[in-house]
Amino acid sequence: MQYSFSLTTFSPSGKLVQIEYALAAVNGGATSLGIKASNGVVIATEKKLPSTLVDEETVKKISLLTPNLGVAYAGMGPDSRVLVRKARKAGQTYYRQYHEQMPVAQLVREVAAVMQEFTQSGGVRPFGVSLLLAGVDENGPQLYQVDPSGSYFAWKASAIGKNAINARTFLEKRYSEDIELEDAIHTALLTLKDGFEGELTGETVEVGIVGEDRVFRVLTAAEVSDYLQEVE
Amino acid sequence: MVVTPDHLTLQPRVIFEYNGSAIIAMAGKECVAIASDLRFGVQLQTLATDHKKVYKIHDQLFLGLSGLASDAETLSQRFKFKHTLYKLREERDIKPSAFAQLVSATLYEKRFGPYFCQPVIAGLEPDGTPYLCGMDSIGAIETAKDFMIAGTASDALLGICESLWRPDMGPEELFEVTAEALLSGQGRDCLAGWGAVVYVITKDQIIARQLKERTV
Amino acid sequence: MASATGGFNFDLVERNELLQKRGMQGPGFTKTGTTIAGIIFKDGIVLGADTRSTSGSTVADKNCEKIHFIAPNIYCCGAGTAADTENVTGMVSSQLELHRYGTNRESRVVTALTLLKSHLFKYQGHVSAALVLGGVDFKGPHLFTIYPHGSTDSLPYCTMGSGSLNAMSVFESGFRDDMDQASAVELVTRAIRAGVYNDLGSGSNVDICVIKRGSVEYLRNHQYLQGKTYERAHPMVIKSGNAPVVAERRFDVAQYVEVGPAPEAMELS
Repeated sequence: MQYSFSLTTFSPSGKLVQIEYALAAVNGGATSLGIKASNGVVIATEKKLPSTLVDEETVKKISLLTPNLGVAYAGMGPDSRVLVRKARKAGQTYYRQYHEQMPVAQLVREVAAVMQEFTQSGGVRPFGVSLLLAGVDENGPQLYQVDPSGSYFAWKASAIGKNAINARTFLEKRYSEDIELEDAIHTALLTLKDGFEGELTGETVEVGIVGEDRVFRVLTAAEVSDYLQEVE
Repeated sequence: MVVTPDHLTLQPRVIFEYNGSAIIAMAGKECVAIASDLRFGVQLQTLATDHKKVYKIHDQLFLGLSGLASDAETLSQRFKFKHTLYKLREERDIKPSAFAQLVSATLYEKRFGPYFCQPVIAGLEPDGTPYLCGMDSIGAIETAKDFMIAGTASDALLGICESLWRPDMGPEELFEVTAEALLSGQGRDCLAGWGAVVYVITKDQIIARQLKERTV
Repeated sequence: MASATGGFNFDLVERNELLQKRGMQGPGFTKTGTTIAGIIFKDGIVLGADTRSTSGSTVADKNCEKIHFIAPNIYCCGAGTAADTENVTGMVSSQLELHRYGTNRESRVVTALTLLKSHLFKYQGHVSAALVLGGVDFKGPHLFTIYPHGSTDSLPYCTMGSGSLNAMSVFESGFRDDMDQASAVELVTRAIRAGVYNDLGSGSNVDICVIKRGSVEYLRNHQYLQGKTYERAHPMVIKSGNAPVVAERRFDVAQYVEVGPAPEAMELS
């Protein structure tokens, strides 16, 4: 048997610098944000392409994990896809076992456990992503953020990525407990617009919503354009 | 032809008949009952008369296990364990319908080397509606709106339940019907009997009653 | 503890074989008996099934469901060991859902077919599921039969289960190409009914599932054939206190306590 040492080791001051570097990767990534409304949740993310030559239709930044739960990320796209794959599988395993949709909190815990494992296992590095998970289940609408360390919290509204600090300040001012999903979508777009370099269009922003019907879906570019016109 | 007990002792035929059991579950209006006999025997020899075959999973959910007693014991412990972990993880009691799927999945895992048990599940869903189901030993679920039976006395139980059950019984009538059906049915089975235990589950009460076997 | 990785567990096989060698016969499993059938019509697929499940010669369930969900555009009728049909279709349904997440496309019927047959072939017929798989995808309607050993047929009309011959005789005389929906449903219903009335392993009611491009109609108990014809006018009522109770215990388990309005605050000045 071969030894394999963890790359994430404590510095003498008690910090795990690998995790801090992972957070740096997150903080350099495209901004994503989420708002929990009284009757649903919205998550939105910037979708800036490296070049106009990229076929934008093939770039998807918000993914469906279970029918009632979606995820947006900030940081490294490839890392997020590993987590998406594992989360989808966890959702299916749960469904096969109980014939019930996996509760949002359970799936979040599962994903967070994977991220934690990668801060302690040998031969691997932490994930360079933070996730925003939005879902509705028996406990109502929920928005969770998971960080590279594996820590997670439920939020009323949150933002991650390059413009996270400004976006959160913006959200703090705008948020109210009884906000409805439609208004939350507007607020989400306004927040994203606040620190956006260039023009916000249906092609440069992706929005995912889940309402009381417990069906998560990603809005089409045309739908996003309509919402953008409303906030102007 | 009358089969002599000797013949049975010499030639055990079916593993389900090694210990003997009788289990009934019945649905009423916002209540369910589940009952079992109390005999524990090895073939025709009775070893104990206080062997309940119904296990409580939580306040609104009971599990009956018929078949080989050693496997029933193992399974009851495994399901209790699974529910304890579920409760720690999800901070709620499992719904009867979800629990049934869990039992089914657990049994089907052993498709090619099964536990020799047939479970019966009875409980109330969070909205108070009764949930009843039974399974074969590899987890093929059969849900029922009226009643569910399992054990060596199943042929006798099936008929009596079919004629005694009626819809929307209250807890008291449900108890009497379940008790009557079980005592009549197990009375025709050499391998089950020696009294019975009946649990009636309602939204705010569990009523447990022990019955003695009728001699006539 | 059950492994989360899936797959079967063979821990008890040795013990069970030993018991069997000592003359202890293992348990029988719930079978579906079954008449299942499907046809292709002008706009899609009609699947049909009876609703009897049996345990030996006893009817275990008089109204079970044998048409299983595979994907929003694909359904599958199952015959054979009930647990096997239930689980093999559930497993494939799960795999297809993951596949759809990855591809963002509607599932294809051949994908379901391949997943089902490779699983069944792997287990060499020991997973005893005989299936009729039907669905509509971008290439149009597809209908397949799958045998427990993993072999498959692609046919415009097909039947499976112990009542397959009864149902097939109806199809052979009544099937035409490009039927309309009403006559297709009628034909499949007649085929299943032939099984219900003439095959002892099949019985009770007729379930039908019509799959067309973009729509599914699941007609549960399309024909309810064998309900009780007689309800007792004076049901037997057992008087309270009849059962020979020797001990009673009651446990209060009320989960929620009603909380009334808060009492007036006490005067403290």
